[in-house]
Amino acid sequence: MKNKVIQYYLGLLITSIALAPQIAQAADAAQANTEKKAPAQEKPAANNGGSGISREKSFPKLLSGKWTGAKLADGQPDVSGHWSNTIANHSNFTDPQGGIPNDPNPNRLAKGPREERAPSRVSDPVDGQLPFQPWALEKVKEFQVKFHDPTEPQFIEPLARCAPGGVPKSLYWHGYEIRQYPNYVVFLFDSGTRIIHLDDKPHLPNAIKLWNGDSRGHWEGNTLVVDVTNQNGKALFGRSGEFISENAHIEERYIFSNDNTRYNYEAVFTDPEVYTRPFTVTIPAKRWTAADKPNGWHFETTLAKHAGKEPLLDREERICTENNGGFGMGAATPSN
Amino acid sequence: MNTLIIKSSKTTVGFSYAAKLALSIFLVSAMAGSAFAADKKIPKLSNGKPDFSGIWQTTSAADYDLEPHSNRKDAPPGLGIVDGGLLPYLPKALEQKKKNFDARLTADPALKGYTLGVPRGIYYPEPFQIFQRNQDLTLVHQFGHSVRTIYTNGTEHPDDPNDWWLGDSRAHWEGDTLVVDVKHFNDKTWLDRAGNFHSDALHVIEKWTYLDANTIEYKATIEDPNVFSKPWDISVVLHRHREKNFQLIEDYRFTLDYDQYYPPKQTTK
Repeated sequence: MKNKVIQYYLGLLITSIALAPQIAQAADAAQANTEKKAPAQEKPAANNGGSGISREKSFPKLLSGKWTGAKLADGQPDVSGHWSNTIANHSNFTDPQGGIPNDPNPNRLAKGPREERAPSRVSDPVDGQLPFQPWALEKVKEFQVKFHDPTEPQFIEPLARCAPGGVPKSLYWHGYEIRQYPNYVVFLFDSGTRIIHLDDKPHLPNAIKLWNGDSRGHWEGNTLVVDVTNQNGKALFGRSGEFISENAHIEERYIFSNDNTRYNYEAVFTDPEVYTRPFTVTIPAKRWTAADKPNGWHFETTLAKHAGKEPLLDREERICTENNGGFGMGAATPSN
Repeated sequence: MNTLIIKSSKTTVGFSYAAKLALSIFLVSAMAGSAFAADKKIPKLSNGKPDFSGIWQTTSAADYDLEPHSNRKDAPPGLGIVDGGLLPYLPKALEQKKKNFDARLTADPALKGYTLGVPRGIYYPEPFQIFQRNQDLTLVHQFGHSVRTIYTNGTEHPDDPNDWWLGDSRAHWEGDTLVVDVKHFNDKTWLDRAGNFHSDALHVIEKWTYLDANTIEYKATIEDPNVFSKPWDISVVLHRHREKNFQLIEDYRFTLDYDQYYPPKQTTK
């Protein structure tokens, strides 16, 4: 009898120690809608013993425009398959390769100047910082201190309790799969599922609040445009504790390269309850295929057993309930 | 031959209206028969296989108890859905089932929000959505938002995989019936809220067949030599949700015990 709980613990452990510089995935995008080619990181990798989280330091800008790639029968650009972010996990939102803020183990914090690491996921404002209202910034700073010894439950990062990653965190957690159907784009994440409705249904009533929000989308050429409401605001952006309120409005643009190897997520978050102005989040992603070697973080697949020669990918189920109340629960929590 | 009949109907004076109607019905059905076979107009994929895409739910009381039961405080009465009525428990397993039943109001894994498993997720009284491509079906259950892939791409069970909450599902078509072989389960799920249970040796063979475009007959043969003396069969009917704007609403209920701690609240001005 085997189960996946060990893999989840291991994954969490690896993601927290795998912060030393590693080989970057070269940004080998040469597609027509690439504005500039990203330089490959040339620093030698430190052996961190982990599965290795891809750590590009920069990535190409992708422009919205025509889709010239393959289409599905219903006319959608065919972007189905396996994807992951290319720079870092959820340890730090605004300094993605910087390590968890206030990490008591200095070896896990990034050394060297800020410019040597990937940019903030906040692309507007240009300083890369989230425009928090003062009260919200205080809450985030408190979280960043107490995260390392969470004596109260609100200082546990909820993903560690198997909560869905939510928006936007799911996009820089483990790799994920996109499946497409007439009227739907479905994201299968390691922790949670997002069903994006492409028909004209109205959003859910405001009283309904969800970890992944309620998503309505449509295609504009190479760009999937998604309107997200009905957030519950509970997922947090990562181990650095940023958050949105349940009344946040998110306007997402998933801009795909025409060679179908990358996309950039650019989303405007509007949330006057927590922030002083709207801000833009940018997250790069790359595709993984059966030609890539599976790994324990970005591309968790296995080759299916079958009589033919063609490599077919199996996606193993992701169900984290075993870990519910697990990682981070060494802390004294009144509710448990 | 059809042409001949039409000709005669046109030339026959006084040919009754009823006879004409009967003829035209015959002609329409004969033409439909040649073009579409006897498929009762069920949705089809591009590869000609039945398309089960949609949001489905049973109206049966199966999840309260698979076996026939009277009403009780925690359950409406129900006929049960097991062929022959009762589950063929091994003696020791029957003792465990009775313990489970007595503890059902606290011990049912569904109460913790855990993934329901197979087949329970199919007849649990919350909707699930099927997304279907030629190569696979993706089932998303509203309860827990758990995702199950049923492969229809000719692949086989892996040799020595992990144990899964929803097992490993490999399917093939027998006519218009989807036949799914599911195994490699864990032993953490129950079969209903009455404490009927299984071990990690559970093996389920499902048969999905359209009765009409909005109704699926779901049958399953269940075997588990650690728990049951022989295989047994269940059957439920699944109805398509056709309400305007109906959709799944994610129900990650295992987060309910701690979700009040998020997000941070504005406590001072």
